[in-house]
Amino acid sequence: MTVLRTSLRNFLAHKGRMALSAVAVLLSVAFVCGTLVFTDTMNSTFDRLFATTFSDVTVRPHQVDNAQKTGAPDTLPASLQTRLAQVPGVADVVPEVSSGQVTVADSHNQDIGSSTGAPTIVSNWDRTQTRTVGITSGHAPQQPDEAVLDADTAAKHHLGIGDRLRIISARGDFTVRVGGIATFKTTNPGATLVYLDTGTAQRELLGSRDAFTDYALTAAPGVSNDQLKARVDAALGSGTYQVRTAAEEKAQGQKDIGSFLDPMKYVLLGFAGIAVLVGVFLIVNTFSMLVAQRTREIGLMRAIGSSRRQINRSVLFEAVLLGVVGSVAGIGAGIGLAVGLIKIMGALGMHLDTANLTIKAATPLVGLTLGVLVTVVSAMLPARRAGAISPMAAMRDAGTPADARAGRVRAAFGVLLTAAGGTALTLAATSATASAGSGLLALGVLLTLVGFVVVGPLLAGLVVRVLGAVTLRMFGPVGRLAERNALRNPRRTGATAAALMIGLALVSGLSVVGNSMVASATHQMDRSVGADFIIQSGNGRPISPAAAQAIHAAGHLAHVTDRADVAATVIAPDGTKDKTEVAAATPSYTDDLQAKTVQGKLIDAYGPGAMSVPAGWAKDHKVALGSRIGVAFTGGATAELTVRAITSDDTVFDRGAMYLNIAEARKYLPADTFPLNNMMFAAAQPGQQAEAAASLKAATADYPQVKVRDQAGYKDMIQQQLDQLLNMIYALLALAIIVAVLGVVNTLALSVVERTREIGLMRAIGMSRRQLRRMVRLESVVIALFGAVLGVGLGLGWGIAAQRLLSLVGLGVLSIPWTTIGVVFLGSAVVGLVAALFPAFRAARMNVLRAIATD
Amino acid sequence: MTTSVWSPQARGNGERTAVAARARALTKAYGSGETRVVALDGVDVDMPRGRFTAIMGPSGSGKSTLMHCLAGLDTASSGQIWVGETEITKLGDKRLTRLRRDSIGFIFQAFNLLPTLNALDNITLPMDIAGRTPDRAWLERVVETVGLAERLKHRPAQLSGGQQQRVAVARALAARPEIIFGDEPTGNLDSRAGSEILGFLRRSVDELGQTIVMVTHDPVAASYADRVLYLADGRIVDEMIAPTADAVLEKLKSFDSRGRTS
Repeated sequence: MTVLRTSLRNFLAHKGRMALSAVAVLLSVAFVCGTLVFTDTMNSTFDRLFATTFSDVTVRPHQVDNAQKTGAPDTLPASLQTRLAQVPGVADVVPEVSSGQVTVADSHNQDIGSSTGAPTIVSNWDRTQTRTVGITSGHAPQQPDEAVLDADTAAKHHLGIGDRLRIISARGDFTVRVGGIATFKTTNPGATLVYLDTGTAQRELLGSRDAFTDYALTAAPGVSNDQLKARVDAALGSGTYQVRTAAEEKAQGQKDIGSFLDPMKYVLLGFAGIAVLVGVFLIVNTFSMLVAQRTREIGLMRAIGSSRRQINRSVLFEAVLLGVVGSVAGIGAGIGLAVGLIKIMGALGMHLDTANLTIKAATPLVGLTLGVLVTVVSAMLPARRAGAISPMAAMRDAGTPADARAGRVRAAFGVLLTAAGGTALTLAATSATASAGSGLLALGVLLTLVGFVVVGPLLAGLVVRVLGAVTLRMFGPVGRLAERNALRNPRRTGATAAALMIGLALVSGLSVVGNSMVASATHQMDRSVGADFIIQSGNGRPISPAAAQAIHAAGHLAHVTDRADVAATVIAPDGTKDKTEVAAATPSYTDDLQAKTVQGKLIDAYGPGAMSVPAGWAKDHKVALGSRIGVAFTGGATAELTVRAITSDDTVFDRGAMYLNIAEARKYLPADTFPLNNMMFAAAQPGQQAEAAASLKAATADYPQVKVRDQAGYKDMIQQQLDQLLNMIYALLALAIIVAVLGVVNTLALSVVERTREIGLMRAIGMSRRQLRRMVRLESVVIALFGAVLGVGLGLGWGIAAQRLLSLVGLGVLSIPWTTIGVVFLGSAVVGLVAALFPAFRAARMNVLRAIATD
Repeated sequence: MTTSVWSPQARGNGERTAVAARARALTKAYGSGETRVVALDGVDVDMPRGRFTAIMGPSGSGKSTLMHCLAGLDTASSGQIWVGETEITKLGDKRLTRLRRDSIGFIFQAFNLLPTLNALDNITLPMDIAGRTPDRAWLERVVETVGLAERLKHRPAQLSGGQQQRVAVARALAARPEIIFGDEPTGNLDSRAGSEILGFLRRSVDELGQTIVMVTHDPVAASYADRVLYLADGRIVDEMIAPTADAVLEKLKSFDSRGRTS
């Protein structure tokens, strides 16, 4: 009991220091719990939405695997309705029309679809819709040109009753007037929804009054959904149509949501992992310092009869207290984080209700277990060290000197790990295949990280001296003192810097890879892209025929290239079948994208009965020029084509594409199943670049989903996409850096306390408060810069190895973002300054008399 | 009894004032109301230049407080203090720090040195902080006087207690301060090392003309001084010129018995 009481007293006596460590625990736990609460809330919200969306049984045309992207929905005959109504147990049959292959524009021709990837759906208004949405103003569609719009989209784009909407589909476009606004009864997952009357929807979206996209069936009382499904299958012939119960639909929906949420969940948990890792350093350091500070006291406890185990346990008990306090706060913060994420989702268009916040019982349990476990495991080593303190320590003045042998063992171990990691990275960089290389890369990253952590304290001597020579010397004696202080306890300096190192290594490694991606893409564009204009559909959908026609009709153009990805099964001479897509394009595509070949001339692949294959595939299937390849077009005939060119895999554009002439492909597919262009290219007539750009802009003005970019614009887009990704990663890594800063604060604060008498002495012999503050600040800056040197060094190594490895897949140009690295260094210096604010203030405020009187 | 005032004793150095530090009506009290403790009770004192003064007195007599106030480490509750020409009772922290840096040297009982610096760096630290270059010739003389020439590159941890204290003495002397304060500088040393230090302090007064004020409770240490001041209950109660260890001991005994009978 006394031991526990001592622990508790010690814990309370070091509230400030413990608070900093508790923040580290808090952040890790908060990330984990926040992620759990957020995903649980999302799932339960969608469960509620699904509960209202699906009919008892739904009948649809079969989803063709590897279907052609024609932009037209698959349909069922209208005659099916009567047959379904006659199936015993069917209480109600509602024929439905719905299409996601549409773009909806407002009267200013602005796309009002979701910007976050949620679908835009146009469907007919019928009685099944009222389960999900209710009309809150206006009325249901009554006239052919009337529509109902969902309330969230209406609010976001300031649309109201009477406003005009243009609906653009593969069949053409038509205009409707908003006659009513519908509001979700549960939550709007961010989709843009437009409802038309059934006749209009059939005519405009399907082109026929005799077709529907699906039938919603309601089971008669006493008939279960499964029974109904079985009966429908029996009546229509099993396998003719896709028949699903509400439960099956729901499972599919959950799977879809999962595939959207899971990456997000893993990213968040990944960052929680980093926060935990950095937190471990902070906790180990805190307990090491507390134990060192208490050496005499522990020695006394040992002298008067405490056992090793008791000492050990008392330290661990403090760790448990810290873990519990940190975790409980972390669980609270995690719920806050989840609310924040939900708010962000709301801003992006997905309206989740925070009242539906789902906190499963497991969540706090997981948080608490994680927090306590991490803390206790981290405190294990310091606790053992505390137990090993000899009773003689009570009589000695200062802490025990570091064991020189342990230092050597550590050095050897660390160097070995780093060398092994370095070897793995080198092997990864020079590896012949991407799959073998990525394993080596991961191993190398892990080993070098651990190796650096282990040798950190030994590197501290060298690096701090060099840094000192470069930066601190200009601050004269104060700088020299700061340098000496940073070197005084290399293990502590090393551990403090290591925490910072992890975040910075990840930032610099990722930015090397990201920058190399942009540089490689830019380099390759300059080398191989001949097109003046690159035309894509903004929301990832194919370019509608009307838009394509308008582009072909634009003036001042030397040529316009159509390019469609045609789904097919490719049969190699060795008999293997690949379900894939072949790139069918106009021959001018060879000018637009001058893909390198390893054998043959690319233009020959556009001849009749010809195609090209990529080098890797050719090698795998022993295909050479002149080989005959079977191409079974999905929904069409099988072609027998001759390989006339083999393209290089060393490219970022169209890697692995198989080319053939679009005219050739059309021979094997009926016109109505031929996919739409997914990309188009155009070249201006010589010297008419500006006129051509203006003409294309005018031609596509009516199609807000079609984006025309020149080469510079395309490069910008690549850069922006990557920047967006990197910024998100940087923002999350900032968390790791915050924890590391807390570590620096902790170390400095303790150093100041430890050096109370020294500080008193220096004040007595004439050091001013300002000089003292500067001394603490400089020590902090030098520790932070040390962390930055390690982190950036490590990150550069990782980034370069990764780029070398990725050069196998077209990432040929290494680009080191010197600006980012400069910012990292400057930022680290600032981090050091900020971390020193409080410790420096405290050191300077210390009462000289009390300081020199301290025992 | 009234506090005594000593007349300045000039030592033929006409340019500077003959008093290195003085206090008038110096009072220092801690706390307030019922818990008020008066550590110094209207002390008037002069510390003559070029002399070695010892301050003695029982625990709690206020001898350390007096030294801390004179050295600008502690603030007076009332009264005035001058170091050289400067009245320090009116100075703010910045100017006090500068005064300590430029005009005052310290030797504490223990923990006198920075463990990260070698002996030489410790000696020149006050000048480094001030951004002054040490006077080479003077530094060599000081180092020679305290007998440290061989050990200048050693860290404190590699020096014995006596050697560490000699480094502290050298540091105090090196900047040629107006006055050096010693707080039981031999309190942690054995008698041989202690007498060595006291010998250096004596020589620095005789040969280098240094002014030294030292708090001690050791009669032998006090016997190295030119003069001993006795403090009791925050007042100066007696003085002895040219003390010997025996005479100091006798005097202390008489205070002790008087304290007990009264």
